[in-house]
Order: sequence, then structure tokens, then C-alpha cells
Amino acid sequence: MTSPLSKTWQYLFSVVLIALTTTLFYFLRDFLNTTIVALLYLIPIGVITGIGGLFLGITSAILSFFTLNYFFIQPYYTLSVHQPADLVVLTVFLIVAVVLSQLMGKAQAGVAAANAREQEATQLYELSVALTGLNDESAIAQTLAKQVLSMTKAEHVEVKLATDSFGLPEKTSPNRNPDLQISIQTVRNVLGEILLWRAEPVITSGVKRLLETFASQTALALERAKFAQSESRAKVLEESDKLKSAILSSVSHELRTPLSTIKAASSSLRSNEISWDSPARVELISAIDDEADHLNLLVGNLLDMSRIEAGVLKPKREWNMLAEILGGVLERMKHFAEKHKIEVNVSEDLPLVPVDYVQMEQVFTNLLSNSLKYAPINTIVRIDAKVEKDFLHVTLSNQGPQVPNEDLERIFDKFYRVTATDKVTGTGLGLSICKGIIEAHGGNIWAENLPNGFAFNFTVPLLWDGKPAPKLPIDSEME
Amino acid sequence: MNNAPHILVIDDEPQILRALRTILTEKEFKVSIANRGEEGLNLAATQTPDVIILDLGLPDMDGVEVCKRLREWTQVPIIVLSARDNEKDKVNALDHGADDYLTKPFGIEELLARVRVSLRHSVQKQGAQSKIVKAGDLTIDLVWHIVKRGDEEIKLTGTEYKLLAYLASNHGRILTHQSILSHVWGEADADHTEYLRVYMRQLRKKLEENPERPKYVVTEPGIGYRFMADE
Repeated sequence: MTSPLSKTWQYLFSVVLIALTTTLFYFLRDFLNTTIVALLYLIPIGVITGIGGLFLGITSAILSFFTLNYFFIQPYYTLSVHQPADLVVLTVFLIVAVVLSQLMGKAQAGVAAANAREQEATQLYELSVALTGLNDESAIAQTLAKQVLSMTKAEHVEVKLATDSFGLPEKTSPNRNPDLQISIQTVRNVLGEILLWRAEPVITSGVKRLLETFASQTALALERAKFAQSESRAKVLEESDKLKSAILSSVSHELRTPLSTIKAASSSLRSNEISWDSPARVELISAIDDEADHLNLLVGNLLDMSRIEAGVLKPKREWNMLAEILGGVLERMKHFAEKHKIEVNVSEDLPLVPVDYVQMEQVFTNLLSNSLKYAPINTIVRIDAKVEKDFLHVTLSNQGPQVPNEDLERIFDKFYRVTATDKVTGTGLGLSICKGIIEAHGGNIWAENLPNGFAFNFTVPLLWDGKPAPKLPIDSEME
Repeated sequence: MNNAPHILVIDDEPQILRALRTILTEKEFKVSIANRGEEGLNLAATQTPDVIILDLGLPDMDGVEVCKRLREWTQVPIIVLSARDNEKDKVNALDHGADDYLTKPFGIEELLARVRVSLRHSVQKQGAQSKIVKAGDLTIDLVWHIVKRGDEEIKLTGTEYKLLAYLASNHGRILTHQSILSHVWGEADADHTEYLRVYMRQLRKKLEENPERPKYVVTEPGIGYRFMADE
């Protein structure tokens, strides 16, 4: 891990340190005996080994051996030794210094190896954390490429998968063969490969081994993603199956009721049993007309629900005025609302909202018809709208019966009814369609009990792609 | 009987054809019927009907395609029929030459009203356009650019008048957002529905007794606007 420059500095440091020690001892030469000097020399050797490792340690031990001999063993300034005791000191010094360097160097190498292993483990851990929860191939490829790039500091990394490939730091790879190529494979088949461009420094076997581990981690993540996808598909199928049977049971009841009315009315009109000018005739004809409308509404609701279920209900957003949408709905529903008093507090000066006109119409229609159905006659149904931060908050409150708190969320579920089916008509889909539409718009819908009534609330965003409604061009006055 | 307006119905559903033929014949129209787009195009060429009622979901070709092919050589009014929830198809057909639309299931009064409007506009294409449009107590003079409620003149801005004039001169007909925007503001602004929403509110405030429940300029959800004049 050390660069050539710091190696040079280390050598320089060792020489300087030994020179300094030698100078210091040189001035104290007359007060110290040879044995103590030899012992003290071990200190800088230890320090140097600690910094520079085994080789530098031994080199400085040998250097010190010569300086000790030259400066501190009589006769001074020669490399010859006269006293046998000094010879022993010198020999022991050399052995101790070399052994000390060796031991320390080994320990150092051990620490370095442990550090490298820890780093590998950390990188592997980071990769597996980053890969958890990723369920699509391109995200996995992207994550892997990022991790490999940050680990290897390569010029370019490319991750190729069956359906996707991802290159870093740029999209295009260098114009030469990759320096390393590792395949991402499971026991059964090859899922892709990692391509790496790094000429300098040369890729070591350690890096290669780590990348292979990366590749096998990625293979696992890819398999997991595949399983998760097929599982969610299975879940969707199961859900839609449940929905279908629920629809069938609800539909057979709900569709037959208006059909029976129509059949009864039309057959009696046909049978000549009712005279042409009797008031019953008018009554029967309008019954057919009303029930046909009712049937149309039911079929529409079913269609919408299946669209929401299939996830294909995409709002066709345009800048719209809530007051205009609501006005249209109230106009169309005025016959149903005759027995209630409707108070509207939706200002035309509210900002425009980016919503699908027809879908929002439906939200209002369903919420209103639900409110009118349950609220007692001659009571007030109120509609308010106000701006709250980046959302428009709409409240439809009525003086109808409260809903048990535990059911407040469930009323938006499909086919969920608080009251028994035979008391109130409808498909049990209206509110869940509202929920589907509002959520597709990025808003929220909820119900709440009021002190003396009940209210639906929903929000729709005021921003479209993060931007509010654009300013209008200036109008010229008419001459 | 020879002077009776001739209506060509192009639809593949026998029940609808049966009902329409019965009702329209009863109303003294001359009725021809085609089950397929190709057949419809041939009949349109050989019999020169006065109005065409066209279903968008035909078995052999797209209804919008039929519109386009018809518009290559004739300006005969086309009323398209389509199931609910297909605003995109309807707008597409309207932008490709259809004059009006009806959503299935529809009431017969609605159908007859559309047919009447279409016949009137086809007559106007040949002759002079009406210069004064009346709707309730509103009078719009398209020559002198004067809008009055009773005897009182209503002051409109330039853009408001342009908008109203376009709607009123096409009264009874549906006009798509795109066609209004490109006519009043220009092609470049054809996507700016927000202009339309805001100006429509201003216009309704000046024209309608109750701007929240407009009587004259009615919204066609997801498609456009229609000006309702006296028949």
C-alpha cells in the first residue's frame, strides 16, 4: 500500500535517526560503557522497524552494527576489535537487533494483512447491503459498477447483464480490451460479466479474488430479484382472481336488480295490458330509462376498478379548475341532490390543479353520491377546498351517521360496506375507485367522523413535475 | 320523401343498427346502413349522405381512419359513437375531421339534437354563415363584434371576444381544447389548456347568470367546450 516516495523518505529517516543517535552517544561516549550504548542502539532500530518494516529494520541493524564498532569500540575509528568482551557485545547486539527487527516486522505484516482482510470484508458487506432489496436488474448492475469502481479505482468499469449493461464513470468504455473480465454466474447459467480497465497498478490476485466474490454476490442478488418478481406476479394474479370472484358475486346481484326492473317494465308495455294513455305507461318508461342509466354506471365502475387493479389507470393530467369540475358534477347530479342542501365553498380563485378532468369528476360524483345516500334528507352536504402547502385539500362533509373508527380506513376497500348490502344499492366499488384515482394523482384520501356527522377528505398536488401552473399571456383590451 | 335528409350509419352491432334504423326512419330520415368501414366508405361515395354516424370500434378498420379517408374528399358532417372512457379516441376523431361525438349508451334526444346541429352546419358551409347568434337573453353580433345581454352591452377583452366568437360561430358543435387553443392563441399554444381554463372562467363570469352552472358555454369533460345557442 506504500508509495515509492514514502519508501525513499523512510530510508532517509532511518539514516538520519541512526546518525543522530550516533552523534548523541558520541558526546556521551566517556560516561557510558559499550554494553549500554549497544543496548540503547536497539531503541532507534525498533522505531525504524515499526515504521519501515522488516527489510529496513535489518538494514538499520547492520548499519548500527558498523557505527557501534567504528565509534564506540576501542580502538576508535577502526572496524577492528581488541577486547574479547567487546566482540561478545557486538555479536550479541547484531543477533538481538536482527531478531528484534524480524519479530516486529512479522507482527507488522500480520497487522497489514488483517487490515486488508477487514477492508475486503467491509467492501463485501457494503456491496451486499447495497444489493439487498434491489429487485430490478439495472439497479443491481448500477450498484455493482459503483462498488467495483470505488474499490479498484479503475479507469472504467462495465457491468453487462442479459438485459442491461452499465458503465462507469462514463457510458462508453475505453477503446481497448479490458484488463480483467469476471463472469457473473450461478450454478446453472451465466448471468453476465464484470469488465475492468486498469493498466496501473497491475491488478493483483487479491483484487481479482475479491471481484470474484463480488460477482457471486451479484449472481445471488440477481436470482433473488427474479424470484421476487415472479412472486409478486403470482400475488397479483391471486389478488385479481379474488377480485374476480368478488365481482362475480356482487355483479350478479347488482346487475340483476336493474335488469329485472327493465324486463318487467318493457314486457308489460309490450303486452298491451297497459293502455296507451295511462299514467302507468309514463312511469314504466322512465323506470326503464333510469335503470338503464344505473346499469351503465355499474358497468363503468367495474371497468374503472379493473383498470385500477391492472395499474393502467393513468391520469391524463391537464391544468384544471376544481370549481369547473365540481360545477359540472353538481349540474349532472341535481336530480339526486334535490332532497339535500348542498353548500359549495370552492373558490374560483384557487390555483389550477394538474388533474385528469374526467377522473376528478368521478371522484366528486362517487363521494357526493355516497354522502347523499347516507345523509338524512333535508340536511346539509358541504364541499370545501383550501390550499395546504403544495396540495389542495378538499373536504366533503355531511350530517350523516358516523362510521365506527375501526372501519374508517376499510370503507375504501373493494366491496366493503358498513351497512348490510340489501339496505343500500351500489357496487361497493365507488370509494375504492376514488382511492385509486386520488392515489394515481399522487394525493391522499381519508374519511373522518365529525362531532355531528361524517366527512371525506382528499388532497391533490398543486405542482406538476415540481412546477406550479404557468402564468398567462397578457390580454389586450378590446377597442 | 325524396327531400328527407339522408343518414348513413356505420356500426357493426346489429342491435344498435336495428334501433337507430327504426328511430331515424320514424323521424322521417332516409337511412342507409354499413357494417364495416370499407363498406361505409363506398356507400358514402355512392349515396352522398347528408350526415354520417360512425362507430369508432369497427371490425375491419379504425374509426379515426374512416374519418381521415372521408375528409380527403368530403365535408359531410360526421358524428362518432364510442364507449365511455375513451376520451383520447374521441378527441383524436374530432381532431381528424369528425364534427361531433356521442357516448354509448346515449339518449335518442341527444342523437337527434346532434344530427340537427350537423345538418344546419352543413347547410351553412354552403351558404352564408349566420351573423347574429342568440342564446337566451344574449346576442352576439359576429359582424360588429358586439355582445349584449338584453340591451346592455357586455365589455369583453380581445382574447375573450375571440374565444366567444369562435364558440358562437360554431354553436351547437363541440370544439376540442386543441382546436380552440390553436384558433384563439395560435398553433404554438395548442397545449396550454390552462389559458383556456382561466379565460373560460372570465368569460363565464361576464356571460352566465350563474358561472358555476354555465348554460351557454358548457364543458364537455376531457374533450372541449360547446356553445349552446337557441335552435
